Amino acid sequence: MPEDIISLIQESVIQGRITKDDEGMDEGMIGQPGVTELVERAPASGLSIQNIITKGLSGGMNIVGQKFEAGEYFIPDMLASAEAVSAAMKILQPRFAASNIKTKGTIIVATVKDDLHDIGKNIVSILLRGAGYTVKDLGNNIDTQVIVDAVREEKPQFLGLSALLTSTMARMADVIQMLEENGLRDQVKIIVGGAPVSEEFAKSIGADGYGADGFQAIAVVEDLASGTES
Amino acid sequence: MLVIGENINASNKVVAEAIAKRDEEFLVNLAKAQTLAGADFIDVNAGSGHGSLQEATAAIRWLVGIIQAAIEQPLSIDSDSPEVIKAALQEYHGEMLIINSVTAEPVRLESIGPLVAERQAWVIALAMGTEGISDRVEERLTACEQIMAYLTGLGVKAAQVLFDPLVLPIAVDTRQGLVTLKTIEQIKSRYPDARIVMGLSNISYGLPKRKLVNRAFLPMAAYAGLDAVIVDPLDNKAMSLIKVADMLIGKDSSCRAYLRAHRKGNIVD
Repeated sequence: MPEDIISLIQESVIQGRITKDDEGMDEGMIGQPGVTELVERAPASGLSIQNIITKGLSGGMNIVGQKFEAGEYFIPDMLASAEAVSAAMKILQPRFAASNIKTKGTIIVATVKDDLHDIGKNIVSILLRGAGYTVKDLGNNIDTQVIVDAVREEKPQFLGLSALLTSTMARMADVIQMLEENGLRDQVKIIVGGAPVSEEFAKSIGADGYGADGFQAIAVVEDLASGTES
Repeated sequence: MLVIGENINASNKVVAEAIAKRDEEFLVNLAKAQTLAGADFIDVNAGSGHGSLQEATAAIRWLVGIIQAAIEQPLSIDSDSPEVIKAALQEYHGEMLIINSVTAEPVRLESIGPLVAERQAWVIALAMGTEGISDRVEERLTACEQIMAYLTGLGVKAAQVLFDPLVLPIAVDTRQGLVTLKTIEQIKSRYPDARIVMGLSNISYGLPKRKLVNRAFLPMAAYAGLDAVIVDPLDNKAMSLIKVADMLIGKDSSCRAYLRAHRKGNIVD
């Protein structure tokens, strides 16, 4: 019985359905329980929050990621799924305190100074939250100093930097350099992304990782996270 | 509908390489092909990022030089760096030109505004300020008002301004098609002498069959008041739709332009 609910939760994430009234990717889903109804009744059937999150929500999101990589799912599909995960997490949040569950880590994200693009950064933030990370979004057009101060004060495990202009991508290097000057570089793993950014560029400025899209960004963060543990 | 040909843009890797290698023949051919396809202006963007400012200004000067020598069509000088635009203007002799672009950010108004006034150029004005692209009509209008107020102070006329209402991807927020269309209507009613210009590619980001989505948005925007479009003139389906849109909203007397294009074999369905 609990296993059934896990797979139903997975399915409702894949379908991107928050409540029973939502349409899904597939036709004919209206009326079937959405992630809200399922998560609300899951603890009563003996499921741990841990299982709901890792097997149900993250499990569903992993499949969404595969479908996106395969070209079967598009950005609106992916966002609907991520919103379903966020809705479920909101329901589960009050129970976190009662159990000893921690988030997977904290990541600060920002679009660098003089760059006003935030769509890509927002998508990455939504997906990271869906994957169980605590995300602090500083916004766009953020001063190098402000990013460095945030790293010093919040002590995140990860820093995600975004730049969409060829004229602003160099600011990502400025951030890394200032972190070094302030002795903070070793405390945080840095991932970078944005249209003009490439793997080579990421390496050349001394970033720890590069994500070409939202799901790659998560894969890179997960790799780096397991790397830091070992 | 005015057509601004978008193809000479360094964000396209092939074009960036041609500029880096100073491949005059390739770039001149690209300008000529767009002219032949009906572009009223040729946009030129030489990039500004990877190298130094010196490299960027040298690249735009060279690019402007070879294109203006090869075609009659006026240019749209496109850069997010005021220094690069300044350098391009030193090279460009044409009386008619577009400066692409300015926003309501004070630093951009202060650097680009005087160039517009001095050259009596047209200028593309993006409906955004220091906070980036708003997802709301009101804030985009506020940006337009700030730009118009500043430019008017320099003696620039509304007729020199092409407002870009801006487009956010429909894939991320399904209200954004209407936000752009309403912004167009509002700008039109506030500044009847100004023009409205738009790029077509943003609306479809993240969706399959992007060209279809882009093309479908065009007649809607035309109805809302679009006057000019930044587009690939070699996309003959988009160019056909531009003619159709103008005709359907009464901007093509006796359907002359549509039929002329048809007789040339340029209308495709």
